[in-house]
Amino acid sequence: MRIAAPPAAALLGAAAATALLAERLAAVAALAAVLLALTLRAPQARRAPYLLGSLGSGLGVFLLSPFLATLGFHVLWAGPTVPVLGKLDVTEEELRTAALNGLRLTAVALAFTVYALLVDHDRLVAAAGFARRSALAVALATRLVPSLERDAGGLAEAVRGRGVGVEGVRGRARLVPPLVAGSLERAGNLAEAMEARGFGRAGRTRAPGAPLRTADRAALVAAVVLVVAGAMWL
Amino acid sequence: MALARVERLTFTYPGGERPAVRGLSLELHAGELVALLGPSGSGKSTLLRALAGLVPHFHGGRFEGVVEVGGRDTRRARPSELAGTVATVFQDPEDQIVMGRVENEVAFGLENVGTPPAQIWPRTCAALAAVGAGALAPRRTAELSGGELQRVCLASALALEPELLLLDEPTSQLDPEAADEFLAHVRASGAAVLLAEQRTARALALASRVLFLEDGELLLDAPHGEAVAWLAEHRPAYVPSPPAGNGRRTAPGEVVCRAEDVRFSYRRGAPVLDGVHLELRRGEIVVLEGPNGSGKTTLAKLAAGLLRPDAGRVERAVSAGYLSQDPGRYLVRERAVDEVALAVGDRERARAALELVGLRALAERHPRDLSSGERERLGLAAVAVAEPALLVLDEPTRGIDPDRKAEIARWLFAYAAGGRAALVATHDRSFPADRRVSL
Repeated sequence: MRIAAPPAAALLGAAAATALLAERLAAVAALAAVLLALTLRAPQARRAPYLLGSLGSGLGVFLLSPFLATLGFHVLWAGPTVPVLGKLDVTEEELRTAALNGLRLTAVALAFTVYALLVDHDRLVAAAGFARRSALAVALATRLVPSLERDAGGLAEAVRGRGVGVEGVRGRARLVPPLVAGSLERAGNLAEAMEARGFGRAGRTRAPGAPLRTADRAALVAAVVLVVAGAMWL
Repeated sequence: MALARVERLTFTYPGGERPAVRGLSLELHAGELVALLGPSGSGKSTLLRALAGLVPHFHGGRFEGVVEVGGRDTRRARPSELAGTVATVFQDPEDQIVMGRVENEVAFGLENVGTPPAQIWPRTCAALAAVGAGALAPRRTAELSGGELQRVCLASALALEPELLLLDEPTSQLDPEAADEFLAHVRASGAAVLLAEQRTARALALASRVLFLEDGELLLDAPHGEAVAWLAEHRPAYVPSPPAGNGRRTAPGEVVCRAEDVRFSYRRGAPVLDGVHLELRRGEIVVLEGPNGSGKTTLAKLAAGLLRPDAGRVERAVSAGYLSQDPGRYLVRERAVDEVALAVGDRERARAALELVGLRALAERHPRDLSSGERERLGLAAVAVAEPALLVLDEPTRGIDPDRKAEIARWLFAYAAGGRAALVATHDRSFPADRRVSL
């Protein structure tokens, strides 16, 4: 079942909002699991960095926050006293909060991943109406991410092809300024090409989009229900 | 009545020391295909941009004279207002693609110029079909090859049904067959076409009229036959010559690189190369040929040691230098001389390398201020300065004018004669070599 881009974006936005609003661990975990399953539908090579970022950041929050928070009385582990941080301990309440926050972060990141990898941004631009320029800017930024990846790889490869090593953080950091300059140059060229194709001219029209189908309407209703449920019951 | 009229056009870019074009006067008529030739930096792209209204509106600068397109003065009409009457295809498709899907990309221009909604999809489909890219309509633009993207750019231009089509080296990334096909689509469009090209054979074969620019001045504006005679007398490098055959001068020396039964694929995809053999010897120049996607670049990178084969062996007995096909990769430093010196840390050697590629006078310039052809030559100097015993060049003549190309070939033969080897991956069938290998 395919959902049109605008209802799909609304549903993903609702999922992210629900993850932030919901208090029940099981509900947020279920939401994250559904979003993870959706992410796995994207091509493996493209989803890998997104998955690493989403799951890594959630895990980071789960592992670190119990040591930084001071919450609850049911101590599970008591550690040494560390300067600045104070006494290290982990309570049952801290663990539960860390799991909830970690899952929340993971769910929000996965919702963005699904948006970036599976939603047709062009259709969002077409549906944007009065905010078309902003939507186009977001769509262009998303489209140019692979170009940036290619440019970064190509720049490093060309430097290595001259017999110069590109090792470590410092070596790679040296390539950041030319990469940024190259991106700005590409943006300038793109702006020129867009103007040559009539962008910004008065009286533009819009290609007819497909009408909303039952699945699209259901997605919009589900988005509203999800947010309300997240705020009131989950 | 002329479709476009240029009268005493002189234009200087902001910060430019001298005009990019000077005193140009010419007319373009409906339905004619005009070849625009000239060395790198001669003003070809500036003339195209002036006809599209991008000069002066987008670039700024000092503009004198008159340019009229479809009866509209480009000083008053912005490029976006000329879109539809004029359409432009630039050299690098990556810098033109806006949308994520092919059909939306072609529809983008139609929406901008206010095409009635009911006509947008039919015209999109017709334009894609006209360039043989109908099957690409639902594909993501990020997944297309350079050749496919260039056809999508042409479809985007043709969908506007322009009266004047401006093409700035549109076939530089295409193999000969794809380039012929591309230009056949252009000719079939029926629009007046101004085609800037450095691979002159193809442009001259199609054009009914030829313009030749040099140092911003129009030296020639003549019908095809007269123009070819003028070029043969005054600029012989621009006259098509038969493809260079094997020109072995001396027996090649010992093997410097050997690839045996090599297989390679990117990200566990389908193999780009499978069962490939290659041997390179001291003193020889080997040209690697093949259509887009045949694996020329991959084999070149394997030979240079930038990639490792999935199966088979690549043995290299000497140091290798690799020139990427994208000149934008050689813009790491702030000055051209420092860019070249990156590999050796010696500015005098860097200046000597710049001299060899004719860029000594631009040593202090920022690499990003160089033209596309000058960037190509800067890249060549940046790789050759370390004098690697194996020089691997990927499309070294892209965007380079015929005179410079001949100079590069002469220089490369001298380089190889010093006991070094060169592997050149190129679509340019006229590039001379000792041996040609087809993939």
